Amino acid sequence: MTTGEFLGFLNLNWQAVAMLVIGGVLMWLGIAKKVEPVLLVPIGFGCVLSNIPLGGAAEAGGFLAVLREAGIHTEIFPLLIFIAIGAMIDFEPFLQRPYTILLGAAAQFGIFGTFFLAYLLGDGWLHVLDFSLKDAASIGIIGSADGPTSIYVATILQSKYTAAIVVAAYSYMAMVPIIQPPIIKAMCSKKERALKMPSVAGTISQRTKILFPIITVLVVGLLAPKATPLIGCLMFGNLLRECGVVERLSLAAQNELANIVTILLGITVGGMMSGTEFLRPETILVFVLGVVAFSLDTVAGVLLGKLMYILSGRKVNPMIGACGISAFPMSSRVVQKLGLEANPYNHLLMHAAGANVAGQIASVVAGGVMLMLVPIFS
Amino acid sequence: MLNALWIVLLGMAIIFAVLGILLLVMVLLSKLIRPRKKEEKRRIDSWS
Repeated sequence: MTTGEFLGFLNLNWQAVAMLVIGGVLMWLGIAKKVEPVLLVPIGFGCVLSNIPLGGAAEAGGFLAVLREAGIHTEIFPLLIFIAIGAMIDFEPFLQRPYTILLGAAAQFGIFGTFFLAYLLGDGWLHVLDFSLKDAASIGIIGSADGPTSIYVATILQSKYTAAIVVAAYSYMAMVPIIQPPIIKAMCSKKERALKMPSVAGTISQRTKILFPIITVLVVGLLAPKATPLIGCLMFGNLLRECGVVERLSLAAQNELANIVTILLGITVGGMMSGTEFLRPETILVFVLGVVAFSLDTVAGVLLGKLMYILSGRKVNPMIGACGISAFPMSSRVVQKLGLEANPYNHLLMHAAGANVAGQIASVVAGGVMLMLVPIFS
Repeated sequence: MLNALWIVLLGMAIIFAVLGILLLVMVLLSKLIRPRKKEEKRRIDSWS
């Protein structure tokens, strides 16, 4: 046996070095800059582990490879995360303003617009990048602004860029406060941004809150069956929260389940970032298209917000359309801040939160619709 | 390219259809199920 066969640093190549640096940067962003630390710290660490030569963590039989097989390839991790998210989300702001579901629907244009663009750059027209129809759909789903949905769709469509897509989806959620404000300000005048909306909404009965997850699963599942696992887990978590008789399970979903799966998911996604697979021109384009997806989401949401502003006789602040993107709760906070900047008495948080949680449902439906349509047109 | 365009058009149409139906069902539900008086009172008490 030569020294090169057991000393890792003798086997370092430029890809491994670059990925070790990227892993370090992700951890630095999480720890020093507090950018999505819950995700970026495990992802960064997993990235470092998987790129240590001869370490074998991400190779067949290694623990990261086992986690990938068990949690990502089976889609178990994203679905378990959805149970936790469902248990954490209070849908009351949406139930008080059900019309906001349309803002959520409009904001999903970012997914489809980016998909179209990616496909044109790839196999669809220009052939400058190695993007098949399935890759383009997986890249477009970054626009769901929803990590678990991105993992779920990219895994089922077997995209080559799953790791980059997941890292982009999670890191751009933290960048919502940077991406959205310039677009909103460009599209909405100060007068529109300053528009106050009534702060008191109707009471939602407990029975409605309990029936909501059950009805949503039935409606979405029967009309877009491919979305059933995602919407089912999301609404199951919400039923645990709202039914009032399983508080222990609800708390377990919100805390233990969310934390354990986040650790496993984060380190496994980091383990998918091996240098040879990650370092290619297409990866950079995946990140660029991720910004495009978030921007198109915002534009489409605000456009429908403006339409509602006109049709309602100037009672709906068009900015809340930007919250149709499901980056909850960052997007709501952005709109609340912009509203207060334009008018110190303008509190839009609950309206924005309504659109934001509606966007959560819409993004899951969009994921299911993508999974339904892509095989038909492939 | 045409297939991608179909996915975009159909995709957005299906999303609006599914969520539009969900919206109608939720509006109907809110009309059928009114909050109980004690829930309404609890809410009014929370304002004061």
